[in-house]
Amino acid sequence: MSKEKKKAPTANTAPETKAAEAVKAAAMEETAAAADPLDFDDDDPLSATSVSKKSLVIFFLIDTSGSMKGKKMGELNTVMEELIPEIRRVGEADTDVKIAVLTFGTQVRWMYSEPIPIEDFEWARLRADGVTSMGEAFKELSARMSRNSFLNSPSLSFAPVIFLMTDGYPSDDYKPALAELQQNSWYKFGLKAALGIGNEANDDMLAEFTGSEDTVVHAYSGGQLAQMIKIIAVTSAQIGSKSMTLSDDTNHELSAEEVRAAKQKLLGQQIQDSMTNLGDADAVSFDTGW
Amino acid sequence: MIELAIGQEVEMEYGGRAQVLGVIGSGGQGTVYVVRYNGMKWALKWYDVDKIRNPKAFRTNIKNNISDGPPSNKFLWPKYLTKENSDGTFGYLMELKPDSFDSFVDILNTYKLTVDPFTGRSSKKPVRFSSLYAMVTAVINIVNAFRQLHRAGKSYQDLNDGGFFINVDTGAVLVCDCDNIAPDGNNFGIGGKPGYMAPEVVRGVAKPNVQTDKYSLAVVLFKLLFRGDPMEGEKVVKDVCLTESSELKHYGQNAVFVYDPDDASNRPVRGIHDNVIKFWRIYPDYIKEAFIRSFTSGILEPSKRIIENEWQKLFIRLRSEIIQCGCGRTNFCSMFERPDIKTFKCPKCGSIFGTLKFSNRNYRTPLYLGSVFYECEIDPDSEDFQTVAGELVENRLKPGVLGFKNTSTKTWRAKMPDGDFYDIPPGKGFPVWQGLQIDFGEVTATL
Repeated sequence: MSKEKKKAPTANTAPETKAAEAVKAAAMEETAAAADPLDFDDDDPLSATSVSKKSLVIFFLIDTSGSMKGKKMGELNTVMEELIPEIRRVGEADTDVKIAVLTFGTQVRWMYSEPIPIEDFEWARLRADGVTSMGEAFKELSARMSRNSFLNSPSLSFAPVIFLMTDGYPSDDYKPALAELQQNSWYKFGLKAALGIGNEANDDMLAEFTGSEDTVVHAYSGGQLAQMIKIIAVTSAQIGSKSMTLSDDTNHELSAEEVRAAKQKLLGQQIQDSMTNLGDADAVSFDTGW
Repeated sequence: MIELAIGQEVEMEYGGRAQVLGVIGSGGQGTVYVVRYNGMKWALKWYDVDKIRNPKAFRTNIKNNISDGPPSNKFLWPKYLTKENSDGTFGYLMELKPDSFDSFVDILNTYKLTVDPFTGRSSKKPVRFSSLYAMVTAVINIVNAFRQLHRAGKSYQDLNDGGFFINVDTGAVLVCDCDNIAPDGNNFGIGGKPGYMAPEVVRGVAKPNVQTDKYSLAVVLFKLLFRGDPMEGEKVVKDVCLTESSELKHYGQNAVFVYDPDDASNRPVRGIHDNVIKFWRIYPDYIKEAFIRSFTSGILEPSKRIIENEWQKLFIRLRSEIIQCGCGRTNFCSMFERPDIKTFKCPKCGSIFGTLKFSNRNYRTPLYLGSVFYECEIDPDSEDFQTVAGELVENRLKPGVLGFKNTSTKTWRAKMPDGDFYDIPPGKGFPVWQGLQIDFGEVTATL
């Protein structure tokens, strides 16, 4: 599979509303066609295809700058390799889950040129080198999170999961890029989580990215890194690939306002709960001993 | 996320230890492991108690369910509780699912993943019903299991596609995840799986109960037969992204059935919902009408939802209307031509099928070599939909001559070509002829 970064065509930056309208038109057309008598040769009640599924893309944004070299990258590669087979069935019969991995060092690169179904995904081990072009990564993500690009499923989608992992502060000016990303509707509704690795990573900056402190965690050792990646990836994939259980204790008619961002809140809650149960796996921190 | 390690031992409530052998899978409330206990392998459900609102009450409820026992042998029911750890975590043992059963999720996916333990690579193996008969039998078994549960005064609460194992060759069903089952009216915090939850639960105005189970059951049946979501059509797909608020709208406040006869705003979309479009054309009207009722008036008025006994009757009828033509075509009789009221004709090969008119039904049942009827179809007091009472067979000594064989335990009476009625004891048969009349006791049948 190719690993080159494709330049986003300008059409990708078209406003979401336009894309939604195009889909609306397409849907109208399709239903009109469906009203005509169907001509299926096959009327066998047993020959079904898989149920129509919703689609979910999980984006991993991974810092591959030089400071990630060594133990951090080793842990990260190992845990990702092990993790993906473990969450292969997370979509059950409801959701087609795909994975896209964007790495940022000096260069911003997609691991594969398009999102890959989780069942077929194979982790290509990453190598660390260069500076931290996080702003560039945000720009690239924003361009790809579009109906015309990576989120082009014809059926219904869940908002994407976006998981950022970094051990440092952006070396480029990330602010305008983040501001642009925050205008992207997929990003707005998406489930965002971030993992800071070691002492250099800035939790405030990461909370700016996720939109809440609850969905930011910090790993100071290899053991923590592995556990946290796993917790965040599994929890966000589970919440992201399923519809939300909206009802709770309050026995009253729910409003759209009350349920807004319910998944992001639940993700924050579950991540925080899991963190309290996390033991001190190993005592040697990333930033000591070298 | 407190996970048990392989090899770890868990203390059981009434003594003994269960040793963890491996992981089966994870769900919303915890993880299921294979364990060894008293020399046998069991499934251990181990809870993530953080995700349970009131673990004490939840545990007591499971304890009560264990002592009540399962409503029938169709349930993988909790058998033994573990001791409670100091941090409040616990689990329970249940029987392992036999290998011959596949999960409902895999049936909906049409394949299962098998993973090579050494390389971790996965490969897909097809999963589908081996016959139409097995599929409709599975539907009858699902409906019957919930009828038994509801008769025991309990509700399942989070009925969804993860709750069943099915044998795709026989249609046998095992209901699993029985840990949220509670006396009707009680709820220990589970809301259910979206898409399967009744609209009033999605809206937040009701807790799961027997009435909401009925809605979820209709969704399960729809998914199994039509292989799609009853509420996902054009109206929903137009939203592009299913956010929490669009979900509240399309599955709660403004849920519209894809084939609502009075509201065409949410029809299935070709290219996305092809299964539903195709299968809606195939099923007979009485099945479609039951789903229309469930998903139109049944949305706002829980009392309008189809009760299990009614579903059971409809699907027993559907099973009796399957025709297996010698040319290989197997379908419901509604998909065969009907040259006159008493006959069906195969549109593919032109074969003609006679019909039987039972006195307790207002429709005619098609006959073909190998067609059967069940105890419940000839005895109004019987609920036995599994024991074959009669079968259409070929005479062993006179090839080409068809007749009915009495495989029941009762003696029938049948009118023979000489005009007289004769006793037909169990194991005996009689020929099919123009003036045939059968007296089963309370029910009679004529050709």
